[in-house]
Amino acid sequence: MTELDPSEAVIELLEVHQLFGQVLALDVESLIIHRGEKVFLLGHSGSGKTTLSRLLKGRLQPSTGTVRVLGQDPASRDPARQRSIQRRVAMIDQEFFLVPRMSVMGNVLTGCLGRVRPWRSLVGWYPQAEWKKAAEILEEVGLDALGHRRVETLSGGQRQRAAIARALMQEADIVVADEPTSSLDPELAEDVLELLVDCVSRRGVTLMVNFHQPELAKGFASRFIGLADGRVVYDGPPDGFKEEHSERVYRSARQDHLTLAASGMREN
Amino acid sequence: MTALRQRWKLRFLAQTLVWLGAGVLVAVALWWSEFDLAALARSGPRFSEFFARLVPPDWSVTQLVLQSTLETLMIAIGGTALAVIFALPLGFLAAANVSPGWLSQAIKLFLGLIRSIPLIVIAILFVVAVGLGPFPGALAIAFHSIGMLGKFYAEEFETAEKGIVNAVRGTGATWSQTLRWGLFPQCVPQVVAFSVYRLEMNFRDAAVLGLVGAGGIGYYIQLYVRGFQYEKVAVLLLVIIVVVTLLDQLTYWVRRWVR
Repeated sequence: MTELDPSEAVIELLEVHQLFGQVLALDVESLIIHRGEKVFLLGHSGSGKTTLSRLLKGRLQPSTGTVRVLGQDPASRDPARQRSIQRRVAMIDQEFFLVPRMSVMGNVLTGCLGRVRPWRSLVGWYPQAEWKKAAEILEEVGLDALGHRRVETLSGGQRQRAAIARALMQEADIVVADEPTSSLDPELAEDVLELLVDCVSRRGVTLMVNFHQPELAKGFASRFIGLADGRVVYDGPPDGFKEEHSERVYRSARQDHLTLAASGMREN
Repeated sequence: MTALRQRWKLRFLAQTLVWLGAGVLVAVALWWSEFDLAALARSGPRFSEFFARLVPPDWSVTQLVLQSTLETLMIAIGGTALAVIFALPLGFLAAANVSPGWLSQAIKLFLGLIRSIPLIVIAILFVVAVGLGPFPGALAIAFHSIGMLGKFYAEEFETAEKGIVNAVRGTGATWSQTLRWGLFPQCVPQVVAFSVYRLEMNFRDAAVLGLVGAGGIGYYIQLYVRGFQYEKVAVLLLVIIVVVTLLDQLTYWVRRWVR
């Protein structure tokens, strides 16, 4: 892993405007995230959180402005360059997206595809060192007894751990997690969040989490970014995130619900 | 109310027309194929004569029949294996979620063309090209199967969960790695099921290939049936029924095992 340099900017967004048709999904003047930061993005659905993570993964090209991840354009058209960026940004999707028929170990091993020789990986003949790494990571996330089990037989919490393990296996510089606790019970949510933050901290990796619950996140984050209607309305330490910020972040959501309710009443 | 009733009436009318049309079509088809119930009714004694002459079976041909059945089975296995090897990459290229639209459409058209050529025609072509024997039979079976297998594989690949494919690509995997570990594992049970089903079909198809000199049991079917040697036909039928039943069981177990 590269030398830890807290001053290094790993994510840079400059004057990024993301339009979907007529809707401005993301409108960011300037956003810089440094190595090792644990950023929690707060906002209701539709606030631009998912758009931001898709931009970082190169799944979207910004309508205007520049996105730099580790100094490179994640939406680069050059396949080799795109792969190298993909490899260095690990994504934990909300729905995990593990292969249900495959074993936990098989899924975790796919995390090393970016650095294993293609012809070896095509027949599933992974190097000994990768097997060792995968086994260590499974132990780290508490799934060492379930490596042989098919993902489809796991519980939601176990699947989330398997998804975290695959992301760690990637040995990325940045880990992006999209609402990692949304499908879990509250008590389980805290455990999983703690596991994710611990694993990432141990490696000095930058973490970006899309999240809904500011109170729960306070113990884990080094920085909060509040988004509302695609704009940054709060950017600072978790301690500074007060009631009024929460209001601003979640206000428009509440308004949406109110208008929805009102229009619903009118129809009846 | 009246609008709804109007629509109901129109629907009723349309349905009646469709059924009438289908009825006319079937009537024309029966007439065209000279369907004759009276002839069928008169055929009873001949059928009973045929069945009566099946017993006792002439077991002297058992070894010959077993050998040629084995050859037919090998033609089916070899041909199916060859077809799978070619159909898998074609299936990937024909899947709309893997290839660009024009390529996917072109490959699907090509697979459709292959499917539309009757097996017997392909078999005769291969016999003319490479000579008599089981080899042209296996080639014909392989060529004919590619059309169906490629189409089924492509349709199965298209049902793969896109999020999983993207997640594997997101690890920095290459295109081929993404297909191998993101898309293919989702489709294995269906791919295996189609392939063993095709093997079963291919055995039955291969049984008639001998009629055009492409090896296997077909040669003896023709010889014994045309020669009215029903005691030998009995052995033939028995062996074929046993093999088909065994294949049927085999595909059932393979499908249960691969899930």
